[in-house]
Amino acid sequence: MKGAWAWMLAIPPLAIALLFFVGPLLHLFWVSLHTSSQSELYGAALTLQNYGAVLTDSFYLGIIRRTLGVAALILAISLLIGYPVAYFVALQPPRRRMIVLLLLLFPLMVSNVVRAYGWVAILGRRGVLNSGLRSFGLIDAPLDLLYSTEAVVIGLMTILLPYMVISIANTLSSLDPRYEEAAQALGAGPVRTFVHVTLPLSTPGVASGMLLVFLLSLSAYVTITLLGGPRSKLLVSMVYDSVTAFQWPRAAALAFILLALALVVTALILAVLRPRRVQGMGR
Amino acid sequence: MLGPALRGVCATIAFALIIVPIAIVVVTAFSPLDYFEFPPRSLSLRWFVEFFRLENMRSAFALSLELAVLAATLSSVLGTMGALFLVRQRGFMAGVLQSLFLAPLVFPTIILGVALLLLYKTIGMPVFAGLVVAHCVIGLPYAFRTVLASAQALDPALEEAGQSLGAGPLRTLFVITLPLVWQGVVSGWLFAFIVSFGELNAALFLTGPGLTTLPIEIFSYLQFQGGQLVIAAASALQVGLIIVMVAAIERIVGIGRIIRAR
Repeated sequence: MKGAWAWMLAIPPLAIALLFFVGPLLHLFWVSLHTSSQSELYGAALTLQNYGAVLTDSFYLGIIRRTLGVAALILAISLLIGYPVAYFVALQPPRRRMIVLLLLLFPLMVSNVVRAYGWVAILGRRGVLNSGLRSFGLIDAPLDLLYSTEAVVIGLMTILLPYMVISIANTLSSLDPRYEEAAQALGAGPVRTFVHVTLPLSTPGVASGMLLVFLLSLSAYVTITLLGGPRSKLLVSMVYDSVTAFQWPRAAALAFILLALALVVTALILAVLRPRRVQGMGR
Repeated sequence: MLGPALRGVCATIAFALIIVPIAIVVVTAFSPLDYFEFPPRSLSLRWFVEFFRLENMRSAFALSLELAVLAATLSSVLGTMGALFLVRQRGFMAGVLQSLFLAPLVFPTIILGVALLLLYKTIGMPVFAGLVVAHCVIGLPYAFRTVLASAQALDPALEEAGQSLGAGPLRTLFVITLPLVWQGVVSGWLFAFIVSFGELNAALFLTGPGLTTLPIEIFSYLQFQGGQLVIAAASALQVGLIIVMVAAIERIVGIGRIIRAR
């Protein structure tokens, strides 16, 4: 299919993407540059005050720092657990590997609210962990495990872990085993082979796993609310609270600060890992 | 490096952390008691009966099903169009379009939800239509990607043969191209359905009074009346439906395809 006819196919999806994705985001950005208003969605005057107010307020700066800290912790733990698991998956024979990958994929299809509910059932005051510890006589009163930043980290990390494992496993299982054999034939031990050959070659999978985990952790409002409670709010909770308080310009500015964080960290991960160099593109 | 013992231990821990929370919820749904106890002493279906007795649960379930069917259908029609267009295009514009269609996959959906709520408030969009459009945008990349994978495996000579034998572009599309990529279209539809059925971040802002999706209904129960085990039954139904969908994908296109499409 060529020319004008082919473009007819492109117009409907393009129109939807522009009208209901790009357009609303530009509009939201426009709103973030306006004063607030009591009667309208936003005021008439242009201002940068919405960004200024957030970025100079120590309360919001603390929330941003906590958001980045939680994301960094989730990234570190999911990488530490995820890499060996991906290695395990990649070494399975093809049929078994398929089943294991399906076991990892299936939880990703279950709604995050159900998975967060599972963690509430485990960590809650009457939850599995507390009643287990009590029946063994290890504690007298239930521990307050839920509604903490730690609960958010554990819950979100396990919810997002399959993305890390699947990304790395896909790269590892497509590696040509001759690279490792060559390194070993040239006298490198297993540690040197891993550090200098396997690990660098797997950076595309590591990078895409890290990006998915990081970006999805930023907007996981429901998980953060159910496991963190009112005391462990993150940036995304602030966006939600501003919307429900009808502070549209403030909500818009917070949304774009969240987006800016996402872009900066994405650029950072790509700059450090340089995944494209493995695929023979770039340096 | 990363010896077999370490890999095995890590894998066991990881699978436990990933699967156990879901399993606990599903088992709890069969509890005969009023309160949470794990493991339950005996099994009963009373919370499933309660689920279908409660008007708000029933209507949230029905709304989620309707929404997922409509949004998945729209996503796969639009995704198929985009994929069939892009599979034969090269160059800068094609790259931009492909990134645009795939963007909602990694874009923080909570921001999209806020932006769409603002748009809907401005233009006065009805709640249900607004939800369908939002889930269509979110499901589009899944449908687009699976159809694109199928279309890339397609031999262009088949389409050329059709056209040289006198079939017009429309006839070529329906008689030759679509039958050859239908497996991609079907698995794209099932993916978009699953994504819509569990979606939270956009629905959080876009649901209205009396018009709530099942995940949002579960969320508000957990926030305000967390002790009620009827949400365990609701969650178990969610999980059950996904198992049915995955089995359908396996029957229609084979499991290998889902994993490669990821």
